[in-house]
Amino acid sequence: MSLNFDRSLEYLKMLIIVGVLILIGQRIGYGVNVMPALPGMLIVILISFIALTIKDSFPGLKFPAFAWASLIALILSMPFMPTADFFLRYTNEVNFLGTTTPILAFAGISVGNKIEKLKKLSWKVFIVAIAVFIGTYFGSAIIAQIVLKLQGII
Amino acid sequence: MKKSSEKQEEKMGKSNFNSFIKLCLTVLFIVVITEMFGTKTFRLGPGRVVLLPMLFAVVIGMLITPDLLGSKIESLKKIISMEEVKMAGSYVMIALLPLGVKYGTLVGPNIVEVVKAGPAFLLQELGNLGTVFIALPLALFLGMEREAVGATASISREPTLGVIGEKYGISSPEGTGVLGTYLMGTVFGTIFFGLLGGYSAATGLHPLALAMASGMGSGSMMAAASGALAEAVPEMKDGILAYAATSNMLTGVTGLYSVIFLGLPLVNFLYDKLYPFFSKKNRGDK
Repeated sequence: MSLNFDRSLEYLKMLIIVGVLILIGQRIGYGVNVMPALPGMLIVILISFIALTIKDSFPGLKFPAFAWASLIALILSMPFMPTADFFLRYTNEVNFLGTTTPILAFAGISVGNKIEKLKKLSWKVFIVAIAVFIGTYFGSAIIAQIVLKLQGII
Repeated sequence: MKKSSEKQEEKMGKSNFNSFIKLCLTVLFIVVITEMFGTKTFRLGPGRVVLLPMLFAVVIGMLITPDLLGSKIESLKKIISMEEVKMAGSYVMIALLPLGVKYGTLVGPNIVEVVKAGPAFLLQELGNLGTVFIALPLALFLGMEREAVGATASISREPTLGVIGEKYGISSPEGTGVLGTYLMGTVFGTIFFGLLGGYSAATGLHPLALAMASGMGSGSMMAAASGALAEAVPEMKDGILAYAATSNMLTGVTGLYSVIFLGLPLVNFLYDKLYPFFSKKNRGDK
């Protein structure tokens, strides 16, 4: 166990910043008012915080905090769970696309120290990487298509 | 002595705080203008291109960094310096968590359908090996050698980086290859999949199959691909997002083992078969 009070405080601070960014962004982009969305956002922050704490407590598991956050929310929102109604009612006020914009704004800035490294790569790497992206995506999509069809789901 | 170190610490704390404020205000600014601009979609040939606010956000974020626009505009460098760039990295991981929660809330209510599709979820993980069949021959054709093994064994997210680094060393040719694809994915992955996700609906593959494919082990790439796909096929939005999130979670579990036991052996096997053919051809060219 490696729980650390300072680090937990830092996590909370960062999560609150991100929460505020999402609330402002979704007010502008999707017309969700800040006050009704606040309880849902607090729940989202709490689950995110728990996910980080679990990840730090079990470093051997190699399961990312992102996946823990999904898993906790998944369990709480399953139809036969008593928490489902309450949980979904509030988290529905947090817009899905609204959560993505701050992530990618941070992500865009964060690659700033990789531009010089990127310039050193050969154009061949660029082409090969595109082929890797396409191969992975359509490889999975084609198998999924076949199996879903065999199962009669689509 | 003690005093000066204290002073230094105070100074460090202060510059840290300044960076924090500058970074957060910059991101707020990006969020506000991209959300005001909103989602843009347009037809292109048989498909629809979906440009979500997140796509504009990543492009703007990248452009304002010191080595791009910052190198031209001095005052921009004062706001976003390498210090803020470094800090932004740790915020990405945190900012992903609310999205993770949202994805969970999309899977939960649909859990019965998702479990029913279990076999498809498991088998499509093998589809990630598709990269080996398409990208490896191309890499060899372009004259790459052992770099090709690292570059095409998988989509080169963090687990693959670890596996190849451990097996061959990160400064080996294989290491150079995997770092190349990793870097490309980190910088251009979300942009590429943001465009491909919406457009791929035109291929005739079922949106749910495409949704499964968008879970590749990267939260932001999955968000870009499935978000755009959901905008392109809005009537299936919930199913698309639930399938994508489940597939991504599954890749988080299986990804590492799939590289060790399937991806690397396969890419090495094919390399041995194909390399003689391509090296002869490349020599012939010269």
